[in-house]
Parts: sequence; C-alpha cells; structure tokens
Amino acid sequence: MASEEKHLEEIKQAVIDGDSHASAQVTSDAVTDGVDPLIILNDGLMAGADVVGQRFEAGEYFLPELMLAGRALKAAMAVVEPLLQAKYSSGEADKGDTGVVVMATVQTDIHDIGKNIVASMLTATGFEVTDLGVDVPLKSIITKAQEIDANIIGCSALLTTSMPFMRDLIDLLDAMGERERFKVMVGGASVTPEFAEKIGADGTAPNAVDAVKLAKRLIRQQREAKGVS
Amino acid sequence: MLLSYQEIMDRANRGPYITEEDWDLEKVAMTTRRMVSKYKLEWDPEEIVPDDPALVDAVFEAGLELARELGAYSRTTERIIEFEPGELEEGMKRMPQTLVMGEGKDARTLYARRIMDERLPLVWAGNPGAPTPEHLFLPSVMSWMQEPIVDMVTCGTLTHVDGREVRTGDPIEIISTRRELLYMRQGLQRVGRPGMGMLAAQSSVSELGDLAVAHPDYLRPCDSHLVPMLNELKMDHRNVSRAVNSLEYGMRNASLPCVIVGGLGGDAPGSAVVNVASFIVSNLTCLSDYHLCHPIHMRHVATSTRSVMWVEAVVQMAFERNAPCIIVSDIYPKSGALTRELLYETAANAIAITVAGGHLEGCGSADGNAPNGTGLEARFMGEVGHAVARQGMTIKEANTLILKLLEKYEHVFDQPEGNAGVAFDQAYDLATLRPVPEWQAMYDEVKADVREMGLEALE
Repeated sequence: MASEEKHLEEIKQAVIDGDSHASAQVTSDAVTDGVDPLIILNDGLMAGADVVGQRFEAGEYFLPELMLAGRALKAAMAVVEPLLQAKYSSGEADKGDTGVVVMATVQTDIHDIGKNIVASMLTATGFEVTDLGVDVPLKSIITKAQEIDANIIGCSALLTTSMPFMRDLIDLLDAMGERERFKVMVGGASVTPEFAEKIGADGTAPNAVDAVKLAKRLIRQQREAKGVS
Repeated sequence: MLLSYQEIMDRANRGPYITEEDWDLEKVAMTTRRMVSKYKLEWDPEEIVPDDPALVDAVFEAGLELARELGAYSRTTERIIEFEPGELEEGMKRMPQTLVMGEGKDARTLYARRIMDERLPLVWAGNPGAPTPEHLFLPSVMSWMQEPIVDMVTCGTLTHVDGREVRTGDPIEIISTRRELLYMRQGLQRVGRPGMGMLAAQSSVSELGDLAVAHPDYLRPCDSHLVPMLNELKMDHRNVSRAVNSLEYGMRNASLPCVIVGGLGGDAPGSAVVNVASFIVSNLTCLSDYHLCHPIHMRHVATSTRSVMWVEAVVQMAFERNAPCIIVSDIYPKSGALTRELLYETAANAIAITVAGGHLEGCGSADGNAPNGTGLEARFMGEVGHAVARQGMTIKEANTLILKLLEKYEHVFDQPEGNAGVAFDQAYDLATLRPVPEWQAMYDEVKADVREMGLEALE
C-alpha cells in the first residue's frame, strides 16, 4: 500500500499533466487505500490546480493545458464527490470557498474565449461550472441558475454594444426578486470595475487568475451573509 | 472549380457532428500540438522576424496539414465542414494578387507583397472596432483621412447614436452602422478624397448593420468589410450571412481570424499554425478577397508583444513563399494617444510587418478598447513602413531595430492599469484637427530617436 504522501503526489501530478484517465485512477487508488477524500481534494487535486494556475499566470501553460487540467479534475471529482457529499450531509466538512457557477456570454455576443478561460480556471480550481455557451438569452441564464441553485452568475460580453445586456440581466434579477440570491460577476475586454459598479454587479476581474480570487471572495461573502462558516 | 457557397452550407448542415468543447480540445488543440511536434516548430523571442526559410515553410506545411485534417466548424449546426483533397489548394490559387480599392483618383491597388519588398506597403489607417462616442467619430476619422500618407481608411464602432446606447442585434444597430458610413463618406468628402477605399461597417457587430449598408450610398462595391472567423477555425451562420451578402453586390470580403496567441494553439508556433490554417480555410468559408492578420495576445491583447509580432511575421512570410496573397496586418498597440510608448510600439510592429511582406492597418491604440487613437500614430505607422521599404531593410536589420524598440515600451505589459493614454479630444485640437503641442512634441522626439536607432530613411 502506497503512503498517503505518495498518493497525493500522484493525484497532484495527474492534474498538472491534464491526464483524465490517470487522475481518476490514482484518486480511486487513494480512496481504496483509505486516504480521506477531503485531504485528496485539498492536498491532491487543489494542490495540482494551484500549480496549473501558477504556470498559466507565468505564461508557461496555455489554454489547452488549462482545459485538460479541468477535465482531469472533473474525472477525479467524479470519484471523490459522492464521498464528500456524504461528509457534507453529516456536517463533517465544508466546501471551502468554492461553489456553483453558471457562466454565459450574454445574448447577441458570440465571443467566448475569455469566458472559456475563466470557466476552465474556475473548474480547475474546484468550482462546479455550468457553461451555457454564447448568445444566451438573459432569462435562460437566470432559469439555469435557479435550477441548479448556483452561487454565482458569471456573464461576459466582448462587444461594447452587447455590454448593456449585462445590466439588463441584473435589472431582471431585481425585477424577479432574485438579486440577493446570486452573486453576479461580469467580464469582457471593455468591462471595467467602474462599469461593473455602475450596473450593480458584484465585481469584475482583469484576468482569469483574478476571476478565481473574486469568485472565492464572493462565495465567502455569501456564506458569511447566510451565517455559514 | 471553386466550391459554390451553397455547397459549403450543405456541408455545414450534413458534416460530422461534434460538440464545441471536443472541437476545441480534441481537434484544434490536440492536432495543433501534434503538428508543432511533427514539424519541430520553435520560436526565438530574440528574433521577432524569423530569418529561417525552412522554419517559415514548416509553419506553412503544418498549417496546411491542420486545415486539411480539420476543415472548419459550424457553430450553428455543430458540424464539421470538411474539404476534399485539392479544394483548399484551389482556394489558395484563386486568391487575388492585386485588388483595386476605392475609386477615381483616390483608388489604390493592393498587391501581394514580397518579403523585404522595396515597394511601399499600403497604409490603411484607423482603429477598427474601437468604441467611439458619436461626437468624436467624425473628427477622429478625419484626423487620419487627412494624412497624405494614408491610402485607405477604417474606423471605430459607434457606442451611441443620438444619445441612445447602441445594442447588438437591436434595430439601432442598423441606424448606427448607416450613421458610421454617413460620417465616413462625409469625412472623405471634407478632406477632398471622396473615392478613398474603406474597410467599414465596424458598427455592425451582428450581421444586421452589414446588410443595411450594402448600398452605394454607404459601402460601395469598391470598399470592403470584415468576415470574421471565430476562435478557432469556426464559422456561424450569422457571420456567413456577411459573406453571402457580398456575393451579388460584389463588395470585397476581408477574412478576419483573430487567433489567440496562448489560446487553443498554445504558444507562438502553434498559434501561427492555426493562423495559417485559418487563412487557408477562410478562402472558402469567408469568400476572402484578402486577409487581415490580427493575432491577439491572450493576456495583453496587443499586437506589439514579441509573440504576436512573431506570429504576424511568420504567417505573412509563410504565404509569401508558398501561396502568395494579399495580407494586411493589424497594429493594436497597448498604449494610447499622448504616450511615447504608443509610437515605439507602432514603430516595432510596422517594421516587423513591412519587412515580412505585409501591408499596414492601424492603429487600434490602447488595445482598440477606447477612443484613444489619432491620426498622428497612423501617420507614423505609414512613415515607418515606407522608410523600411525605401531603406531596403533586411530581416537581420529589422530584428536588431525591433529589439531596441522593445526596450522602450515592453514595460507597459507589466503595468496592471495598462497605458491607455487619453481620448482623441485631449490629444487633438478639435477646431483645427491638429495634434496638441505635447502630442506633436512626443512624435517629433520619438521619430528622431527611431531615426537615430537605425531607420535612416525615416523622413
């Protein structure tokens, strides 16, 4: 039987390598050998994701590596998630500062590379991301967020002439009485912190690495507001 | 015989189904990675214009193989548009070698340039897509229309008309695109160059505006418009509509695949391979008459980074050596008006493009993300390009000079707040349409410096 340290190192490396098959296998091996799933999550999968994020930030990794790491993480999560859920329900663990995110490029805009990078980074750092794609009607974004009980709605627009639809999304949430339920992150090449504030969003970030930091901060705020530690 | 557009649409409707995520990762990213490895493609950040014909040819071969293997993806139907052997080659053969843009005394002939060509590059001035408020639109486009060195013009995107916010796909998009063209035609009349060729309908962010201006009062058949490809190697029916709209009208189509350097193609070599493949495929999917080369840096956006300049240069050279066609390369500096860095970035980018066989378009100053562009940097772009050609600059000389210029501006990529400079009305006197004294002084100073650095022919 391999040591816990060795298991965690293999899991971490599988995520760094973006190897879905290996990540599922070594995670499964670790579970079989009795490694705590929360330790697998934090010290194996998340530790690997951190390295991927750092390499991306340093310009050593590019979008494919990010996407592959996201897939490797998903494959491993399929193994540990049921075990973690059992722990959540028994109150043994918390989800840390990750959560559920719905992402979309808003209606009329078809640009998605920035959104995809952020989605990949969020997935690679442990968020559960539902990406609705591009040119998504506002109501569809909200409906999906309600359906999966999302923490965050992340919407994006590259075109300056599509940016007003992000304000409309927030106005629609207000009108539906749902604004307090979701944190809203906005993004896009022309989106500034001033624009985000002006339309009543909860924040924006200049790049994918900062978007993850923002998402984690918003999750913490949401949990604090709900009185969840 | 070249494929009819109906045939391409049929293939988009009946090609193999694949999810977009699998197209991105399994097809584009993985195949590109394999091509980079197979052809042993590497780049040297100290050699911005590759001085290695074998490398240039390998990039072309890898791009052609990628295009043959993948084809294109229809995002609308989620199917692959496949091509038969020989069809892509036929598309390359039919690409025009000359193209008259504009009309009358203002007409210019675009041509397929050569590497280290001593013929002057054409100067296509403007900041395509830069969000521009209505009150600044006419004076800003006139600031570059009036420059004698400018051959053709383009423009930003109107953000408001009559005080109303422009929204994509909204009826107001029709009004804004027509308003843009009215200002463009008016501006050309006022500077006495009514026949100058345009690349316009930049306010047409969906297909609506494009369709609304295909009329001789707005965009003439002697003008051109953009037919974008989506990242990477993708089309959708909305963008196809733009190309189809030109079929009977006879307007020129410019393909625009904005390959993300650091995106699905990975680092610079893979991105260059994707760019080559995109041009080859766009000959058929965008019905291209010429290509706009506009790779985008994943993090910095700007075209003046080392990797993006390398991609622009190697892609131009790859086609010049293997499938000559007209390529106009964009200059989108990080910096904006009233900054010295804008001029140094413009110079470096213009040198790389000109020596590698491209024509010049720009400047999309401040990443084309603000109305912070002026006619002065467009003039400088043209002056530098002309000087490179007149001087008969070699690739080796160009690289030496570009490395010196990089020292003058590369710090802007580490500035979290960027280096956007100021809006047009703070850099130009709106009454006289002349640069404010500080902006003129910066231009004079940087120009003298660039001449001193080795561009002796800079007049």
